[in-house]
Amino acid sequence: MTTIPSTTTTLTPSDIEIATRAADNFTRLFYTAYDSDTRLAELPQFYRQTSSLTWNGKPFQGVDGVRSLINDMPPTKHEVQSFDCQPIPGPQPPSLMVTVSGNVTHGKGPAGNPPNTPAKTIDGQPRVFSQTFMLLPDPTAPPTKPGEVAKYYISADSLRFVG
Amino acid sequence: MFSTSTAPPAGSKAIASTALRNAGLIDKDTQMRDMTDKQGGRKGSSKISSHRHRPIDQFKNARPGSSSRTLTSSARISSSASHAGPSDPLSIRGASRPTAAGRMRRNAVSASGGSSSSSSLPTRVTITRGAKTIEFWREVVKKRWNPEIQFLNLESLIDDEVVKRHNLSSPGLGGGSAREAAVIFKLAGELKPPVKTLSLANNKLADLDFISGRKEKLLHLRELLLIGNPVRDFEYKNNRADRYKQELTRRFPSLEVLDSEPVAQISFDVQQAPAAIPVKKPDATTFPYPMSGSFITGVDGGLVSNFLVRFFALFDGQRGQLVDAYDPQASFSFSVNTTIPIRARVQGLHTSKELPNQRKLEWSHWLSAGEGGSRNLNRMHGGLERAVKSLHIGGDAAVKAFQTFPGTIHEIGGPPEKFCLEAFPVPLGANAGMGLLVSLHGQFTELPVDGVRSFDRTFLLAPAADGSRAKLNGWDVVILSDQWTIRAYSSPEAWKAGDLLVQAQAKSTSNGSASQNQLPQSVISSLPTEQQSALATIPEPQRNLVIQLMSRTNLNVKFAVDCLQNNEWNMDKAYANFEQVKATLGREAYL
Repeated sequence: MTTIPSTTTTLTPSDIEIATRAADNFTRLFYTAYDSDTRLAELPQFYRQTSSLTWNGKPFQGVDGVRSLINDMPPTKHEVQSFDCQPIPGPQPPSLMVTVSGNVTHGKGPAGNPPNTPAKTIDGQPRVFSQTFMLLPDPTAPPTKPGEVAKYYISADSLRFVG
Repeated sequence: MFSTSTAPPAGSKAIASTALRNAGLIDKDTQMRDMTDKQGGRKGSSKISSHRHRPIDQFKNARPGSSSRTLTSSARISSSASHAGPSDPLSIRGASRPTAAGRMRRNAVSASGGSSSSSSLPTRVTITRGAKTIEFWREVVKKRWNPEIQFLNLESLIDDEVVKRHNLSSPGLGGGSAREAAVIFKLAGELKPPVKTLSLANNKLADLDFISGRKEKLLHLRELLLIGNPVRDFEYKNNRADRYKQELTRRFPSLEVLDSEPVAQISFDVQQAPAAIPVKKPDATTFPYPMSGSFITGVDGGLVSNFLVRFFALFDGQRGQLVDAYDPQASFSFSVNTTIPIRARVQGLHTSKELPNQRKLEWSHWLSAGEGGSRNLNRMHGGLERAVKSLHIGGDAAVKAFQTFPGTIHEIGGPPEKFCLEAFPVPLGANAGMGLLVSLHGQFTELPVDGVRSFDRTFLLAPAADGSRAKLNGWDVVILSDQWTIRAYSSPEAWKAGDLLVQAQAKSTSNGSASQNQLPQSVISSLPTEQQSALATIPEPQRNLVIQLMSRTNLNVKFAVDCLQNNEWNMDKAYANFEQVKATLGREAYL
C-alpha cells in the first residue's frame, strides 16, 4: 500500500453538499435496482471489473462476480433506515464512503412461512443489514450531462446481515 | 424568507372540503380560508386548542413554529386588507399558515351554506373548495403540459385564461395559497410520462414549503425554472443564492438544471431505459450462499486486530488519546438507526431476563450528541448546515465529538462470536493509492444505564507514514474515515456461520416425527447461546427428542427435558402432556 498523495484539499461545504446529494441519489437508485424484476440487468451497471465486494463474508470480484452473486438470490425488498456519506480526503472529485443501515426481506417475508409456524419464529422475518460502499469517479466515463462533475461507480461493497 | 401566507380563494362559495380530502389532495386537517373572512369574527382554528372558536386574530404574524421543516419564516406578510371584498385577488390575509402537522381546524360555522359575501356574519367563514376546483386545475395543467418533451409550463398562472375564467386562486398570488399549490403539484406528480421540465416562472411564489420532490413525487424532474418569483429574487438580493440552490437541489435530487444553470452533481452510470435483453426475474426460494465468518484478506490479520483492540480500549477508557490516530483531513461521523429490529422484537430480546436494562435506554442523547447530532442523511432536518456540522474533520474535532457520547464498553477482547469483521484493501481513488476498508459489526454496553446497543463501524485506513503523528504515537495505520452506526441491539446470531433460511421450514406433524433423525443445524443455531450449551450436555438420542419437542412447543431446554423425562422419553406422550398443562406454564418455561 502506498501512502495517500499530498494533493489533499480541505473539504468545502460544497463538496459535502454534492456528496450528500450523491449518496441520497445512489441509495435510492441502488436499492430500487436490487429490488426490481430486472435486477440482473440493472445492478451490474453500478460496478466495474475492478470492483470488490463481499456478501456475508463471501468475496466476489468484478461485474461477473456481481452477476454470480445475484443470479440466484431470492427477490428482495430493502428498506433504508439510515445512511451516511463522507467524502474521502484525496484528489478531486472526491471518492465517497457510504454506509447504509436498514431492513431487508427476502422472498415473501413472514407471509411466506408455512402455516403453523410458531409466532416466535424469526425465519422469514426481515433482517437488519449493514452495507458499506466506496464510490469512485470513473475516469473513463466522461460527463454527459450539464453540471455533471463525474460518473461514479461502486469500487467496493461490503454487506452483512446484522440482525 | 421561505415564508408564506395564505390568500383566500377569490370569491368562491362554501363547499365542504370533504371532496378535496377524499381525493387525497389536501390533508385531512386543513381547511381553506376565504376572502370574505371578516375582521372581528371568530377564528375557526387555533394552534393551541383546537376545538374552540377564538377571537379572530386576523393579523397573525410570525408564528415561528408553523413553518415546516428546516426553514423558519422570517417575514410574514400581514394584512391590513380586512375590508377586501371577494373580488379583490390581491388581498392578503393574515399569515396563519395551515401546516399539515396536525392542526385541527374546525369546519367553519359556515357549514351554514356559507354565503361568501354575508358581511353581517361576525364569524369567520372558512370556505373550502370542492371537486370542481380540482377539475379546473386539471384543465389548466393539461393545457400547459407537453408530454412529448415532458415539459409542464406553469409560468404566469395569474394571467392564464382558464384560471381567470374559473376564478381560481393562483399559487403565489399576492402571497400564495398553499392549498392551490398542493393541488397543482399533486396533479403534476400524476402526469405520465413523468415531468422532466417544470417552469414556475413569474408566479409570485414566496415559499417553497409546498413543493418537495419526494412528497409530490416529482422524482424525475431534470429542470426547474423559478425566475421571476420572490422566493428566488429575495435570496439572490441578500447574497444567499448558494443557499437557495442548495435547498432546491435537496428537494429535487434528480435536478440537473436550475434557472438555466447546470447543477453540479455526481451521477451513476446506469441507464434508465429497460434492458435490451430480457432478464430472468428473481424467483429463488433459497439463498445461494451460506453465512460465512469474518473476512480478512490482503492484510495481516494481526495488524487489523491490533488496531481494533487499541482503538476500542481507548474509546472505552480514554477517548482523548485517539486524537493521534486520525489523519488531519480525516472525517468522523455517526448515525443512529432508532428503528426497532424486527427479529429482536419477535424474540423478545429487549424484554428478556438476560438483558434487564434495555428498557432504560434512550435515544435522545445520542441523537443530539457530537456537536451536530446524528448524521442520518435519510432524515436530516437542518439542511446543509447540519450536514456540514455533523461531519467532524481531523482528530481534534473527532475527539471533541467523542466526549459527548455516553460511556461505552466494547469488550473487543471478549467472546469473538459477538463481533464480525470485513477487512480488505480498496483503491482510494483513481491513481490515489490503496487503503484498507475495515467494517466491524458488534455490540457495546452503554453506561451508565448498562444496556446493550448494537453497532456497525467502518474505517478507511492507510499506512501511517514514518514520522507522522500517528506513527510516532504507536499507530501503524492512520484513520482517513470513520463512520459509526448505532442501532438497537440485535443478536449476534445474525452472523453465525452456516445455512441461511429464506422462509421458516415446515414443521413436522405429530405423526411420524420419530423418523426425523437430524434437524437442520440452522434450527439449533437459531437458539440462544445458553440454550445451545445446555443442549450440548445432553447425549443422543435424547438430544434430538429435546430439540424436536422444543421446536414444536417453544419450551426451553430445561422444561423440554423435564417434560420428556416425566413421559419416559416418549415424544407423543410428552407432547400430549404439554398440551394438557400448557395453560399453567409461566414465561420461564419458554424460550
